[in-house]
Amino acid sequence: MKKIHIYYLSILLVVAGAFAGCNEDDWLQRTPKDRITDEQLWNDPNMILGLLANYYDRLPQLAGVFNTGTNTEFDDAMWSGHVDQNWRNDINYGDDYARYWDYTFIRDINLSLENMEKYSVKLTDVQKNQFNAELRFIRAFVYFELVKRMGGVPLITTQLIYDGSGDPSSLQIPRAKESEVYDFIYDEIQAIKDNFTITEKSRTRANKFVALALQSRAMLYAGSIAKYNNLMSAPISTPGGEVGIPANKAAEYYQKSLSASKEIIANPEYELYNPGGSSKGENFYKLFMDKNAKEVIFAKDFMTGKVHGFTYDNVVRSFRSDIEGSSMLTPSLSLVESYEYLDGSDGRLKDKDSEGNYIVYDNMSDIFANKDARLYGTVVYPGSQFRNMPVNIQAGVAIWEDGGYKFRIGNLGTTYEDGKVLTGFDGPKDDDQYVSNTGFYLRKFVSENPQDGVRPSLASNWWTWFRLGEIYLNAGEAAFELGDASALGYINKVREVHGGFPANSLTTLTIEIIQNERRVELAFEDHRYFDLKRWRIADKVWNGQDSDPNAVVHGLYPYRISRPGHADDGKYIFERVRPTRFKRARFFRMANYYSSISPTVLNNNPKLVKNPFH
Amino acid sequence: MKRYYLFIALLIGIIFTGCEYDNFDEPKSTLSGSVVYEGNPVGIRNNGPQLELWQDGYQLRYAIPVYIAQDGTYSVSLFDGEYKLVRKAGAPWEPQLSDTITINVKGNTVYDVPVKPYFTISKESFQHASGKITANFTVNKIVENANLAQVRLFIGHSVLTDQNKKEQVVDVDISGIIFGQQSSLSVNLSESLKKLDEVFIRVGVRANVTNEFYYTQVQKISLK
Repeated sequence: MKKIHIYYLSILLVVAGAFAGCNEDDWLQRTPKDRITDEQLWNDPNMILGLLANYYDRLPQLAGVFNTGTNTEFDDAMWSGHVDQNWRNDINYGDDYARYWDYTFIRDINLSLENMEKYSVKLTDVQKNQFNAELRFIRAFVYFELVKRMGGVPLITTQLIYDGSGDPSSLQIPRAKESEVYDFIYDEIQAIKDNFTITEKSRTRANKFVALALQSRAMLYAGSIAKYNNLMSAPISTPGGEVGIPANKAAEYYQKSLSASKEIIANPEYELYNPGGSSKGENFYKLFMDKNAKEVIFAKDFMTGKVHGFTYDNVVRSFRSDIEGSSMLTPSLSLVESYEYLDGSDGRLKDKDSEGNYIVYDNMSDIFANKDARLYGTVVYPGSQFRNMPVNIQAGVAIWEDGGYKFRIGNLGTTYEDGKVLTGFDGPKDDDQYVSNTGFYLRKFVSENPQDGVRPSLASNWWTWFRLGEIYLNAGEAAFELGDASALGYINKVREVHGGFPANSLTTLTIEIIQNERRVELAFEDHRYFDLKRWRIADKVWNGQDSDPNAVVHGLYPYRISRPGHADDGKYIFERVRPTRFKRARFFRMANYYSSISPTVLNNNPKLVKNPFH
Repeated sequence: MKRYYLFIALLIGIIFTGCEYDNFDEPKSTLSGSVVYEGNPVGIRNNGPQLELWQDGYQLRYAIPVYIAQDGTYSVSLFDGEYKLVRKAGAPWEPQLSDTITINVKGNTVYDVPVKPYFTISKESFQHASGKITANFTVNKIVENANLAQVRLFIGHSVLTDQNKKEQVVDVDISGIIFGQQSSLSVNLSESLKKLDEVFIRVGVRANVTNEFYYTQVQKISLK
């Protein structure tokens, strides 16, 4: 018995000795089979690409990337979807509206940049420079989103590591000046723009021209804040410059924007989309659907398995192929009227003559005749087509009684006693859901393919972050602000190619023309809110006044005339309406120019200065 | 079966005793009063300017928003304690961010918050005669370096009448305004307002550094 004990003991000793003696690295430390190490990741270009895909997917937006809801919170549209989201028609922009503070993302990018330097041994210099440039582009893009919404923010470009001392003050970084953030974006783009050697022709990954497009947009924003903030009767600023840019920097920023725009426009890889064989309006619609369009500079792609519900959300009511949905984002009359007539006259629709009598139209679409072709490409209006079929928009019948018209309306798709349509299958119907409340539907980004509106397969058309049309308008605005004579040419080119205006349709330029041109060209592309902010006119356009046609979303309802025996019988008149579901005039306060910083963030970092009015 | 009942009884007992730990009493004290300038309540826009309350002594600080009614009154439910009140920007009065007011709340406390409006309107009076309203009022400059942006007359069909919600508005020519002296104005009521039995009127004045008006208290004018 004792012998056996000794025997066991010696075995135990041998085993213990073997462990103690063995090299820890060889024996106990194994490569984990359930996770990827930094060494593996940063030496495998395919895995890095996977990581980048995640980062590209996280690029921030406010009303972009097929965000139906937020687009119905401004003046270009109202919400006609399910009633439980009717608060969008009753929105009160809070102090925290459009707040954005994603330092998790910034940290992820900083960590990636540092780890690639630390662990990568197998990547070639070309690959390393490429990935480094892409990561820094994404970081610059995120900082641009931060500065657009919050003003100057802490500029953090390295990992922040806590030293365990109990004193977190080394992690508390104060806000940079607003101008410093824009300067950082510019400097980063200069440092990386020539390093994109692998993605030269890509439209979905960053390259030199994507970076320049960011420069074109960001520098234009900086320039206009420098100019227009200081033209306000009381400029919005903080003593430390966290908010507000000195007026004397405007020219420098506009120049930087213009030079980037010029370089993109000079590149034959990019062209304003203008295929032959179809109308200008069709072309403007297809520009966003055709993934070979040479106009697109940078897009977020979608495909089977990575889809979006935009067509489900916004398809014309009677064209929906799912059991619910459709009609959520419905464009406003003020947007429709901001599209000029092709002869250059003001876009106000001629619904009544100067004496207040209705103007009678033979066909419903006649009232929209000879308008900027981009109207057709953006909005489905009464009498137009969708998916090669006429839409069925008619609010009701106007019956002549006692010397005036009385309106009769019915349920969707009803017939009047004369056997013809009473109310169309597409409405408009006031105070109803999933049918337009304004008389208009959205065409831009909504797919022609019926299958794209069915859950769960949904749509896979892509989202354009940057396109040449915007770059032309950026160039035109920057040149205009610099007093450069080339400004007119850039704006006229877009109007000619996209809008169908004759060449050189404008002979003089004002900032108001440029503002309107951006509204019609870039509608629903996540520009409107930020454009109005940087021109410092948001508080004037969205002035909260119940009587203001811009602050209040209006609609236009077409009625068929029933007046047997009269020449106008069977023709159409139009009535301006204020939809019942639209509750509160848009009201943008001074406090909304810069969103408030979250109290949690302020608690964590006492060095942060609050934004004005908060 | 008995065991089963016992079990249920026990369970209910546990649930109820558990509640006592989880529940807080609701705040029972109130702080109320008006926003005043020289003892007179300041009229504001409905759902407009706000005050902020802060409390020291906790690790994390969050503001308690104080909503103000259009006649300048406010009321908040609070726990007893010492609070600091901040007069924020975005109001018709000067922001006083660093000059906080300390208020001890104990039971029902009444406190009138003194503010310094950029401009005020005093001695307002309105007369109605056959569809025409005549308004007399005096604009006073309170903050020395303030610049006058707008003076407007607001007419509405309900007591909630202000810049955002009104039926008729008239801009007063500010070049003709002399501070401290009476201004007058007459306007024809719009067709829709003429038909009513009564209208509600107030005058507002705005400095260029803010988008909020200082309003007179709403006055009801009988038309019939």
